[in-house]
Amino acid sequence: MRSRKLAVAVVITASSLVVAGCSSKGAATSTGAGASGTLTIGAAVSVTGKLAREGVLTKEGYQLCQEKVNTKGGVDIAGAKVKLDIQYQDDTSKPDVAAQLVDQFNDKGVKLILSSYGSANTEAQAAVIERNGQIMVDSAGADNKIFSKGYKNTFAVLSPATEYASSIVKAVAELATPKPKSVVFLSADDGFSKTVTEGGMKTATTLGLKVLDPQYFPNGTSDVSSALTKVKGEQPDVIIGSVHLVEGVAIIKQAKELGVTPAGFGESVAPPTPDFAKTLGGQAENVLGSSQWTDATKGTDKYFGSAKDYTKDIQAKFSHAPDYHNAEASAACLALVLAAEKAGSSKPDAVRAALSGLDTESFFGKIKFDATGQNTYKPMSVIQIQNGKAVTVWPTDSAEAKMIWPGTK
Amino acid sequence: MSAFLQATIYGLLQGGLLALVAVGFSLVWGVMNVVNLAHGGFVILGAYVGWEMHQWFGLDPFLGMFVAAAVMFVVGYALQRLLINLVINGPIFITLLLTFGLDLMIVQGMNLVFSADYRSIRTSYASQSLALGSVRVPLGRLLAFSLAVGITLILVAVMNRTRTGMSILATGMDRGAARLMGIRARHVYALTFGIAAALAGMAGAMIGTVGTFNPSAAASFTLMSFVVAVLGGLGNMYGALVGGLVIGLVQAWGGQYLPGTWVNALAFLVLIVVLIFRPTGLVGRKYYAARLEV
Repeated sequence: MRSRKLAVAVVITASSLVVAGCSSKGAATSTGAGASGTLTIGAAVSVTGKLAREGVLTKEGYQLCQEKVNTKGGVDIAGAKVKLDIQYQDDTSKPDVAAQLVDQFNDKGVKLILSSYGSANTEAQAAVIERNGQIMVDSAGADNKIFSKGYKNTFAVLSPATEYASSIVKAVAELATPKPKSVVFLSADDGFSKTVTEGGMKTATTLGLKVLDPQYFPNGTSDVSSALTKVKGEQPDVIIGSVHLVEGVAIIKQAKELGVTPAGFGESVAPPTPDFAKTLGGQAENVLGSSQWTDATKGTDKYFGSAKDYTKDIQAKFSHAPDYHNAEASAACLALVLAAEKAGSSKPDAVRAALSGLDTESFFGKIKFDATGQNTYKPMSVIQIQNGKAVTVWPTDSAEAKMIWPGTK
Repeated sequence: MSAFLQATIYGLLQGGLLALVAVGFSLVWGVMNVVNLAHGGFVILGAYVGWEMHQWFGLDPFLGMFVAAAVMFVVGYALQRLLINLVINGPIFITLLLTFGLDLMIVQGMNLVFSADYRSIRTSYASQSLALGSVRVPLGRLLAFSLAVGITLILVAVMNRTRTGMSILATGMDRGAARLMGIRARHVYALTFGIAAALAGMAGAMIGTVGTFNPSAAASFTLMSFVVAVLGGLGNMYGALVGGLVIGLVQAWGGQYLPGTWVNALAFLVLIVVLIFRPTGLVGRKYYAARLEV
């Protein structure tokens, strides 16, 4: 009897030690540069769940980056060419899972990370990254809150959330004739969309537009009829949606059903996504959208070439036109690769120092990070759906077509 | 006043569609005592069938939904006969676990086959609306609502007036006694599951026409079906219709007069209040509510 108790005690003790060993956070010492001549980067992406559409586009951007870098021989680490190896995990579109997966990468010794899709996922990951001493380049988490917490290890290639609706407001104020007098924001209730709304309202007020009370609805809903019914009587000149794809499509569809006809619609995130025009058909015509990237972006780099080259590469590899989710993911990967090359090392501290000092042109435009880790040097573009395609209409120096106004006929 | 009327009409139309989504869920729960967590997956699968019919054969979605119903009937019948029937006598948790697993497989399967792209079945008329003064009645939603109500009424007639319907109800009340009367319970259960899947498929094709869908939308339809079924009550074919209309109206009125982000909380609040005063749901029968505790 006593020997059985002893055996149980031994098993429990041994199990505890194993578990303790497995779960020690931040204890891994490997740097991500494998002995077999690879630079390993971890990426938790949303392949399933409600963000799967944008998550898959993000993954495609990372995949193209790996292919382009390896085709040119790999990453040059202190004179030695090593192959880029991005390891993927599915975070199922859930922030807690995205954060856990970053932890798992750390346990495996993977210190260099590319972010998931969306602000909520990225915000959850950034906290873990900081604790573990990993380095993350953020491709799609734009909420300004991520960069207000003093994190030192997260760097974002994209413009912050406050710019999304602001850029549409600026474009309309500059180019629309007759000049609109009033604007209303219809916003999802997630942190990113609310920040987009706040930024847009501030800019609209500054530019002298009458800003009506914003209307909020649950994030991810496909029924925004209540918000539209509320604003219908106020007859705003412009309706701007701070939304993701599904709410963005719902605004245009249900506005038509309910007879809500402002002079124009603008939306963050949704219009540049290929599904927007595909799903809405003719109803998508002339809707404005803000985009982190268009193929009219100026700048080149050694791996991707120009924005036009990037467009061709995405088309060839994935059989669809690129959208900015592809491009920002590739740009994040590019920034990490260039930083590792500049550092001549894959050690996190060296890569962080290199990212802090990075100042480069690329197919994505200029990449240079400020003290908070944001790429605030990059402007956003405004696109408009014309003949089923997203064309750049603002800023005017890189415009591919004139803005059509009023957008609703 | 016109905003109130607009919200009411939109809420009723939305509620009718919700009723059709939930009626199959309620039927399976009532007859088989199975809470089918894969129901939302069936709805989206039906939407994809409708989309494919429209894409490849140019079939109008309001005709394509009958193809979706036929396909989903076969899928539902086979799933029950080959899989769910294996655990039909087990505790409700086992069927919950099985249908949860089924849901995961269906959703991931759709992700692989159709990708996560958002889709909508585009027609020339679905987004048009009839103007009644300042109030608009969307044509696509009106059609979907009329069909949803019509199909529910047909289901009630089938259940109460045909031999097949009565054998389904009898099996739901007392399987042992039904068997003694010569009813083949296995076949009846599979038939019930097939009918439920077919109704879900029809609802999916309509949702694909008036809205957008992708595989991840399945979960929200399962949740809504649950709310509608419990609110309306089990054991009465009108339960889902009543529950759907109430939820549609509550969400529309709530969205109109409260902050827009409260609508889901409001729907659940109504559910709780109704269950406090009428534990069997609005029109449910006591016998079926008692079975929930099995």
